[in-house]
Amino acid sequence: MPYHEFECSKCIPERKKHAVVKGHGEDLTSALPLGYLNTIPGTISERGCAYCGAKHVIGTPMKDVIHLSHGPLGCTYDTWQTKRYISDNDNFQIKYTFATDMKEKNVVFGAEKLLKQNILEAFKAFPKIKRMTIYQTCASALIGDDLNAIAAEVMEEMPEVDIFVCNSPGFGGPSQSGGHHKINIAWVNQKVGTLEPKEITSDYVINYVGEYNIQGDQEVMMDFFKRMGVQVLSTFTGNGTYDDLRCMHRAQLNVLECARSAEYICNELRVRYGIPRLDIDGFGFEPLGNSLRKIGLFFGIEDRAQAIIDEETARWKPELDWYKARLMHKKVCLWPGGSKLWHWAHVIHAEMGVDVVSVYTKFGHQGDMEKGISRCEEGALAIDDPNELEGLEAMETLEPDIIFTGKRPGEVAKKIRVPYLNAHAYHNGPWKGWEGWVRFARDIYNAIFSPIHELAKLDISKDEIPGDCGFKTQRMLSDANLPDEVRNDPTLRQYTGKFDCLKDLRGKTYPVFERKTAAAPAAAAV
Amino acid sequence: MECQVKPRERAGIINPIFTCQPCGAQFASIGIKDCIGIVHGGQGCVMFVRLLFSQHFKESFELASSSVHEDGAIFGAVGRVEQAVDVLLMRYPHVKVVPIISTCLTEVIGDDIEGVVRKLNAELLPEKYPDREVHLIPIHTPSFVGSMVSGYDITVLDFVKYFAEKTEPNGKLNVFTGWVNPGDVTALKHLLAQMDIDATVFFEIETFDSPLMPEGNHVSHGETTIEDLQGSANAMGTIALNRYEGAKAAEFLQSEFEIPTIIGPTPIGIRNTDTFLKNLKALTGKPIPESLVRERGIAIDALTDLVHMFLADKRVAIYGNPDLVIGLAQFCIDLEMKPKVLLLGDDNSRYKDDPRVKELQENVDWDMEVITNADFWELEDRIKNKGLELDLMLGHSKGRFISIDYDIPMLRVGFPTYDRAGMYRHPVVGYAGAIWLAEQMANTLFTDMEHKKVREWSLNVW
Amino acid sequence: MDETKSNPEPLDEVTAGRLAQLEDYIMKNCLWQFHSRSWDRRVQNEGILSKTTQILCGEPVDTGTPLDRCHWADAVVMAEEFQRRCPWLTEMPKDEVKALMDALHKHLDYILIDGSLNLELTDQHY
Repeated sequence: MPYHEFECSKCIPERKKHAVVKGHGEDLTSALPLGYLNTIPGTISERGCAYCGAKHVIGTPMKDVIHLSHGPLGCTYDTWQTKRYISDNDNFQIKYTFATDMKEKNVVFGAEKLLKQNILEAFKAFPKIKRMTIYQTCASALIGDDLNAIAAEVMEEMPEVDIFVCNSPGFGGPSQSGGHHKINIAWVNQKVGTLEPKEITSDYVINYVGEYNIQGDQEVMMDFFKRMGVQVLSTFTGNGTYDDLRCMHRAQLNVLECARSAEYICNELRVRYGIPRLDIDGFGFEPLGNSLRKIGLFFGIEDRAQAIIDEETARWKPELDWYKARLMHKKVCLWPGGSKLWHWAHVIHAEMGVDVVSVYTKFGHQGDMEKGISRCEEGALAIDDPNELEGLEAMETLEPDIIFTGKRPGEVAKKIRVPYLNAHAYHNGPWKGWEGWVRFARDIYNAIFSPIHELAKLDISKDEIPGDCGFKTQRMLSDANLPDEVRNDPTLRQYTGKFDCLKDLRGKTYPVFERKTAAAPAAAAV
Repeated sequence: MECQVKPRERAGIINPIFTCQPCGAQFASIGIKDCIGIVHGGQGCVMFVRLLFSQHFKESFELASSSVHEDGAIFGAVGRVEQAVDVLLMRYPHVKVVPIISTCLTEVIGDDIEGVVRKLNAELLPEKYPDREVHLIPIHTPSFVGSMVSGYDITVLDFVKYFAEKTEPNGKLNVFTGWVNPGDVTALKHLLAQMDIDATVFFEIETFDSPLMPEGNHVSHGETTIEDLQGSANAMGTIALNRYEGAKAAEFLQSEFEIPTIIGPTPIGIRNTDTFLKNLKALTGKPIPESLVRERGIAIDALTDLVHMFLADKRVAIYGNPDLVIGLAQFCIDLEMKPKVLLLGDDNSRYKDDPRVKELQENVDWDMEVITNADFWELEDRIKNKGLELDLMLGHSKGRFISIDYDIPMLRVGFPTYDRAGMYRHPVVGYAGAIWLAEQMANTLFTDMEHKKVREWSLNVW
Repeated sequence: MDETKSNPEPLDEVTAGRLAQLEDYIMKNCLWQFHSRSWDRRVQNEGILSKTTQILCGEPVDTGTPLDRCHWADAVVMAEEFQRRCPWLTEMPKDEVKALMDALHKHLDYILIDGSLNLELTDQHY
């Protein structure tokens, strides 16, 4: 597995060990990209900062919380309305963001008074919201404001409110991952165990960790858990509530989805409360099915998981396979932030037929690369902390049919005529669950077989202009070289779900399972 | 019945209207050819601004970071600038202009960016890049001062200050557009061409709307050259369209090189465009041609179709960049509309003395508020809790949820507008802008009438 | 690489091929082996692989503690997948299964822990 040196980065020797090509007969001991090191200045890296890792990625999906950043307003503005982590309480966390608006005089004389005034104002503006998270920024960290002290003071004066403090300034760590770590640890230190659950409704109680409800992923998974009769005490943090997350210590099992952003809290809950950590994949038919089965096995209710697997597979497999038949050997650059390179690398190959020719991680650690490289096929190029020129060079060499990446790098790809899907926020998600996985395949199909790409490659000054057709459908492009038996396979069909597949989930009723043990009495006060 | 000017009284911001100064510096930087700015701070200060630009323009722009991490924040990070400049120059051989843009982080720790530029000019550039033209320009944009608007203003000034060089008069007119869209530049250049005026437009950003070409072309970038900036000192005159975005540079050229200068008005609406043409005529001596009389006539015709039937007395809230907001308010009033609230999103103390604001105070005969240092809560709180009723909102996409939640029709204007397609392509300035704005406002109201089933039948005959 | 961390003894071709099949399944489909510290990976490897061996050999499995049950859940699914994907495994005598699983365990300890290039594995803090 040789290290891969980019032409454009030959002048930066530090980059030499940040990319490898997965070779034949080699394993992780042959080569592994370096990871989670300080960004090289001037490379035009795609990384964000530790503040955004804490506030934007992990903190803000909590849905019933005033998210207040202590600093100048830019950090707040810039990380507002750039994500699709929705909630079932009308998206309070997406709609409202708060900044203390630190100015020069505050930098000189301190801004603790300003912070306190802000906290009081925010609670006053939203009298029904009683929970708050305060995020440190570069400026408030450097002037040394004591956020914890101010929070404690307010909680003393206003006993009905509760405030969480996250000290994760932008400079704190090589990438946003530093912020993931800090907010995980801060939450378990400050808040877990400070409240008891209102009600334990099931014999089977989990925390669902590292799930951010992108386009409703969490709600899709909740549907399965409810159908299994599993109580999800808290979700860390998508669509999750502050108080539920204070009760994490009462779960029997931590089900961990994104081990990049949230393994720290699982590890701490394991050490402090003896709750085991089960790493799962929520993406893909088989991985998701096996994940539910493992949860079922843990609790002795694997039959309930199997019932879901059978039902969902029967419903959606013909649709997934319709797309698979048409996506075979399409080349994918799987270029997400951290966890999706390994969540998706193998299963999109196995279940959608595409070939992953490259994986990268913007902010991941070597552990993410171990998983990503293990899960992709031989020949794939793995890149840590890629920069703009390396991305372009890789796309020019690998000639992918599509890339899965962020919004802005997606625009770079567009210009060299590579279609992109948003790996962070999705196109038309949710992409979790069986139906979600078909939606993902549908989005890939629609991206690759868009007639616009064919038109984009035509040079009307030089090329023959085909004047014989007035339009092309996606199927005219995707089915052109398919054998008849596949093209006309009566067992397969295109996606038949709705534009909004969440509506029916909200308000759905679920079976009541008999308890093995008598219902636990309401928990005593802490 | 009066127009009051008042600041936000709360200490904090609930939903900001603006971002901070480094964003303005970055927006100015991408307008210059062969220029990649280095933002001296954490990665986020660049990554999110690039994302913001890409949300608005649906294009990616190149901007670099000195990527300051914990060690730099503690021990000083000028070394990161040195490395960033070198790495950037090695890998981007076309780059000539490199603004070093400070942030709150590097201003608080007191990094000496002038010092590091002097050092690089003395050592790295002559030693490693002796045959290369490279301009390193320190730009101070601490995030805890002003806003993206002042950041833009300062940066345009710094670029002009750095490059402007008096040689021979070039007979050209400097036009500082302020924070506009490609569609605005096209509209302005059209007016200048009709007037037969040879102008240098700061900045040439029509290329922000860049094509997807058969051979591939990955970079959207502005086209203003070093020569354009140098020549600003030799112009026959300067017009800065906006008082708060680009006027500092115009004033500098006036005081330093005695260039006749007119600042404002922002040519939004018929009246301001008329004044703009009058100012062009005054500075260049060129007459206003018949073609513009006709073009103006088309605009007047289009507006006449709309004003007293559909737009009259409609209550409007407008927020965003100050010159844009004021220009839109003036135009709305000419269209018989009633701006109720104007929100200017930073603490610039000059707003209250702006003659255009004074004019509103003197003449408006309905209740109107101009809120400075505003956030979106100033608007939402009035709607939600204080009985403010609106027929229309004008502003950028960050205010979209007020429109959605209170069911107020909204026309997207300004920066950023990421939740409607192609808004950057359309002008708000000039007669073309007047037509586009009035018709879009009307169409927005029409759609709302149909959506709410309020007098939707009235459009049967029009 | 540290010379003292050598790959376990070479295996005969058939065993190596079989081991590769099992390893391929684990590396492509499982996540339990990728915890972030060496000691943690050793616990995971030991817990899950030993329980998988017990399941494959029809021996009783200890599911006493929550951690045991968690390991067992991973092991059950893995044992089934092994048997589904590797028909030869169902025919194999118990002692050979044990030997193969032991070799697999040693191999995984090597590529994931002792021979790993992941510099974070020995970091004292999470």
